[in-house]
Amino acid sequence: MEDIIKVENLSKSYGELIAVNDLSFSVKKGTVFGLLGANGAGKSTTIECVLGTKTFDTGTVWILGLSPKANRKELFENIGVQFQEANYQENIRVEELCEVTASFYKNPADYRKLLLEFGIADKNKALVKELSGGQKQRLFIILALIPNPQVLFLDELTTGLDARARRDVWQILQDLKNQGLTILLTSHFMDEVEVLCNKISILKKGNIVFHGTVKEAIENSPYAKLEDAYLWYTDEEVSENENL
Amino acid sequence: MKTFNTMLKTEIKLSLRGMDMFIFAICMPIIVLVMLGIIYGNKPAFAGADYTFLEQSFGAIATIAICAGGFMGLPLVVSDYRSKHILKRFKVTPIKPTIILLVQVTIYALYSLVSLITLLTVATIFFKFRIQGSISQFIIGWLLVMVSMFSIGMMVGGISKNSKTAGIAASLLYFPMLIFSGATLPYEVMPLAMQKTVDILPLTQGIKILKSSTLGLPTVSIIFPICILAIITVICSTVAIKFFKWE
Repeated sequence: MEDIIKVENLSKSYGELIAVNDLSFSVKKGTVFGLLGANGAGKSTTIECVLGTKTFDTGTVWILGLSPKANRKELFENIGVQFQEANYQENIRVEELCEVTASFYKNPADYRKLLLEFGIADKNKALVKELSGGQKQRLFIILALIPNPQVLFLDELTTGLDARARRDVWQILQDLKNQGLTILLTSHFMDEVEVLCNKISILKKGNIVFHGTVKEAIENSPYAKLEDAYLWYTDEEVSENENL
Repeated sequence: MKTFNTMLKTEIKLSLRGMDMFIFAICMPIIVLVMLGIIYGNKPAFAGADYTFLEQSFGAIATIAICAGGFMGLPLVVSDYRSKHILKRFKVTPIKPTIILLVQVTIYALYSLVSLITLLTVATIFFKFRIQGSISQFIIGWLLVMVSMFSIGMMVGGISKNSKTAGIAASLLYFPMLIFSGATLPYEVMPLAMQKTVDILPLTQGIKILKSSTLGLPTVSIIFPICILAIITVICSTVAIKFFKWE
């Protein structure tokens, strides 16, 4: 299987602080790759370096065989992105935001269908700023799907969603994955990671402390559940204290 | 083209929802025109002049909307979109930054045009105003003034670090030019020393071009202002595009 995303020896520091240290990973077509780690571990920085919205110090990044810096216009025709923080114009309505986003692409998806699928079609005329947290989150996943992307980047995709909505989003993403969509996501929810991710990398202070499948992550730790294993990888000192 | 049209349509709606440009670019010039009309009526500009005071001021008033759009609207909207990370979201789409700038320029050009038309209508109907010089020269001059002032605004919006810097820069451009270049306070009532000082403002030069074509004054006197505005346009738009920041 071909590598859709390929990151080699990526490093990025903010002054003295090393945010990402010599990171390498690749994501194969039709798979979901999860970047895990505590807040400030370097997840968002990694995503932004990969997308080219942040410049990195050293390393190489390829998406669909193209460089996000040099081939921006061509590449982003096929990429959907959902950032952690919502960013939209002050007085824009849901359908206006969708319409403008769709106008950026040659073959956009029908955003009305997506609004229906995600259960916010009735908010069509509402101002985006008046949506609830969960509705906004769903809208931003829709915006990421409007390009009909081959690769999807989701930064904390289900934060702010209720249990039902999370399940629905998972189902939609599973279906898209089965159709060949490649996804890179970050998440704080281990149940979500277990359901969606084929491979994960656990980040700690900018370094990868584990890379592999969810099953391997559990097997290589003294625990039986991913959440415990994850905490063991990211927070060894605390775990050791607990063992005393 | 599809992107441009859709963005333009939406951004016009957003701008009208905001209301401030409607007030500063459409209402304010009319208020200034009517006030000058009431105060000076159809009196000649000076004893023996063959044009009225209002005719002399018309070119200046026609730049109020250009000022509002170029020094307030443009820089603020571009820097606002940057600090709200809207430009960052655009960066992970195929859209070109020039389209974003072009959409905003078009919106403020439309405001300026609407303002010019309403001013012409009001002045003609109520104050017997007419352009004594060449209409085509007036239009070309008006376009040059607009393009050059907008290029200053685009540069400020395109390169300022955050909305606060842009806001300060915008105020530093907007208020002095609005008050001292003759756009609101007539240049002719200023003392000579003050006139000499305000001559360094680019808009003062722009207004001279408009004045000359409204009143049918000799063209030779406006060659210098035309050159100045052309140079400003080239420099500022190059800087704006070359140093455009998404974040």
